Amino acid sequence: MRRGRAIARLVRIAVVFVLVCSIAPAQTLHLPPHEKVVLKNGLTVLLLEKHGVPLVNISAIVKAGAGSDPSGQEGLATTTAGLLRKGTKKRSAQQFAADLDYIGGEFEAEAGPDFTGIRAEFLTKDLARGLDLFSDALLHPTFPQDETDKFLAQSVDAVKSAKDDPRSVMMPYYSGYLYGTHPYGRPTGGDEISLKRIQREGVVKFYETNYTPGNTIVAVAGEFNAAETKAKLEELFGAWDPRAVKDVVIPGAAPTKGKRLLLVDKPDASQTYFAIGNVGVAANDPDRVAIHVVNTILGGRFTSELNEALRVESGYTYGAQSFFDQRKMPGPFVIFSFTKNETTTPAIDLALKILAKLHKDGVTEEQLKSARSYIKGQFPPEIETSRQLARTITMHEFYGLGDDEVNQLEARLDAVTPGIARQVIGKHFPAENLVFVLIGKASAIGPAVQKYATSQDTRLISDPGFWPAPAAGKK
Amino acid sequence: MKTVRFGGIAAAILCVALFVAGAARGQQDYPVSARTLKNGMKVLVQTDHSIPNVALYIFYRIGSRNERPGTTGLSHFFEHMMFNGAKKYGPGDLDKVMEANGGANNAYTTRDVTVYQDWFPRSALALIYDIESDRIRDLSFDPQKVKSEREVVASERRLSVDNENSGVLDEQLWATSYIAHPYQWPVVGWMSDIEQWTMEDLKHHFEMGYSPNNATMVVVGDVSADEIFILCENYIEPILTHAPPPPVTTVEPPQMGERRLVVHKAAELPLLMLGYHVPQSNNPDFYALNILRTILFQGESSRMYQRLVDKDQIALDVSSEVEPSFDPSMVEVVAQPKQGVDPQACEKAIYEELERAANTLVADTELEKAKNIRLVEFYRQMRTINGRANTIGTYEVFFGDYNKLFEAAKNYSGVAKEDVQRVAKVYFGANNRTVATLMPENGEKAKE
Repeated sequence: MRRGRAIARLVRIAVVFVLVCSIAPAQTLHLPPHEKVVLKNGLTVLLLEKHGVPLVNISAIVKAGAGSDPSGQEGLATTTAGLLRKGTKKRSAQQFAADLDYIGGEFEAEAGPDFTGIRAEFLTKDLARGLDLFSDALLHPTFPQDETDKFLAQSVDAVKSAKDDPRSVMMPYYSGYLYGTHPYGRPTGGDEISLKRIQREGVVKFYETNYTPGNTIVAVAGEFNAAETKAKLEELFGAWDPRAVKDVVIPGAAPTKGKRLLLVDKPDASQTYFAIGNVGVAANDPDRVAIHVVNTILGGRFTSELNEALRVESGYTYGAQSFFDQRKMPGPFVIFSFTKNETTTPAIDLALKILAKLHKDGVTEEQLKSARSYIKGQFPPEIETSRQLARTITMHEFYGLGDDEVNQLEARLDAVTPGIARQVIGKHFPAENLVFVLIGKASAIGPAVQKYATSQDTRLISDPGFWPAPAAGKK
Repeated sequence: MKTVRFGGIAAAILCVALFVAGAARGQQDYPVSARTLKNGMKVLVQTDHSIPNVALYIFYRIGSRNERPGTTGLSHFFEHMMFNGAKKYGPGDLDKVMEANGGANNAYTTRDVTVYQDWFPRSALALIYDIESDRIRDLSFDPQKVKSEREVVASERRLSVDNENSGVLDEQLWATSYIAHPYQWPVVGWMSDIEQWTMEDLKHHFEMGYSPNNATMVVVGDVSADEIFILCENYIEPILTHAPPPPVTTVEPPQMGERRLVVHKAAELPLLMLGYHVPQSNNPDFYALNILRTILFQGESSRMYQRLVDKDQIALDVSSEVEPSFDPSMVEVVAQPKQGVDPQACEKAIYEELERAANTLVADTELEKAKNIRLVEFYRQMRTINGRANTIGTYEVFFGDYNKLFEAAKNYSGVAKEDVQRVAKVYFGANNRTVATLMPENGEKAKE
């Protein structure tokens, strides 16, 4: 708990993991009742009352994210989101900050691959002021030139700062190398070069094209009166100009064939960070529950096969895990760990052995029983707070899923048999076709890791961008 | 510094913020039942049926301050060993049985305490007590596990210190700021000590720190106080008491002038950390210091953000932290200079803002804002059974009474502008500070 900066950066990474976890179970547990209203201008509004703590969470998603960034201007969606609070029709950036902080409010806006998420939280007694702030940022941003310049300059330095912590840049390198020029290959926050190409006009255009009521879902969850708040929301958001909605279409990416390896050279590294995997599944994949169970066994908990082998039994690492980052279209599947330079190949060999064993042996009924029970037992705290509930119902709406994701989960978990698990492993978990991304000391590990792939690339961590190299374009 | 047992990419999920403010809703809304067992362990219970789950925390009053040169990091290593086998649940069994029954666990170690956390469905309640009593009473030390766990901790150190600039700088800052008191060494331990602990060291540590009268248990969730007290009588109360750790008697002498250090390391950007000695958590100045820190550092309207990030545009971010402590501790200030900015420019701006707070009273609106922020943070801690368990335990252990949690609102509202000015003057002078700078060796140069 010592470094706000480093921790904030990790939280962003952790979101991926939470999203994966949120596709989980409960039978005795049901989502609290909630209401959906579509305003005349097309805005979808979700309301969920949850009493106990006097806080209200307001979440919105705009259905356009980094996947909609123009090629070469990666980071545009993130910049647009970051500038929402940096000047509105009635508040300067400084006034917005003063008004927000005075009531102890939280406000965050961030773009992911599929959508932009905007989230705020206020005390119940301050809800009217909170809604005013929230709607001001969402509906009336002015994108002042000086704030835009400031934000972009900070973003470039933030990329550099992130490169000082390999964990925080593993996903942009991995996504870039796995997806290449596909929209999911873009670094969501941009890179040192693309951010310098972004202009205020581009931000305004991105906002005007994508921030429309028909393209937006707003959820309010927590301790409040839904009927009163609904009227207030209609008043605040009803006048939002119903511009034409431009649907974002992201094609599905084909998985990598064969084996490719990217070595990102960090000459001072004393340990190697590695990610192995391929294109995974979409959030609404019909097999998602079985996949979640199998992944829990493979790399989704402390006693997972990967963590048992790489940490508990061998001591190679402090942690090993696997996860599917589920998105609208198939997102990445990743096995992630790290180990000292000297044990790089033994650790990767072992991870591959565990993956091969999964394909060869499948999972036992006993493993399934344990994993089902673990998922059920750990799920209730995933929908404990109004923030989590707002996110859950918003995500269901976005991905076209329903309350059954929660209400039927226990039954769906119970339906996963070893036979179904075996089918799912064959269908969704990569075996021979794999992408490897390693961040480490190339002079120490380079020759030894060549054996993993027929095609190998290297770059220096201090080189601008992630992958493909932005200046040179596609390699 | 806090070191957690299991991290990886999702480590931050497990981080729980400390320090909260009190509130309009008080103890009557979140009642706590307390009982001290015959063997001296205090047990606190809060019922909350909103989800069918339970958070159980055990705070042991032993941390790296109870170590000595040669065994630094032992408390944290020991924390790992608490998961590696006892009499009934052998190596690996604890995690397997707990997860198979829907439970999960973790632990963290600080300079002052070692804390064990279990999160589980109500149905696993008796099992958890069986597991916890087994390891408190009959921990075993399998030499093979000691060997492999030593490697795990070395990997953790490489992850959180050696390969993370802020980790390296933080470690150097404490090592420089403290010359006498055991807060000078890192919680994770120096690498050479990690490699050298003996079995005898481990056994001694267990005997010293893990007596029931050296621990506080907090249970929050879908339980009744009565059923928890009965479980405690059956599982925990029979465990024998032994002598707690000897008191830490070394007092850090007052710092009599600025100390400076530089770390040269491969990096993209430089980094600046400042440390100021402040009293331990239960000192009355705790509240005024937190109000001052809130005004200076919290949110984009804070003075430091407005000055360094927004107006001067010399830093990417600037923040401050203080951990709960038994002994006089440090407020740390961290600034990430922008590319091409000399860290000394950040230093100068920070000092000017600290002097302004020491020389002039803060505005009424700033004081009100800070109190509002502390109030909301109280509720943010109350949102989850996990947050409640950690917060209740932290107040009990560091303030001597969990009721202080519910009195915090009153204590914060009593802070006057004059108090804020006084603590700025007393604790944030040049003679009381240590300045740590990380200068990139072969990445971007600090000065262009």
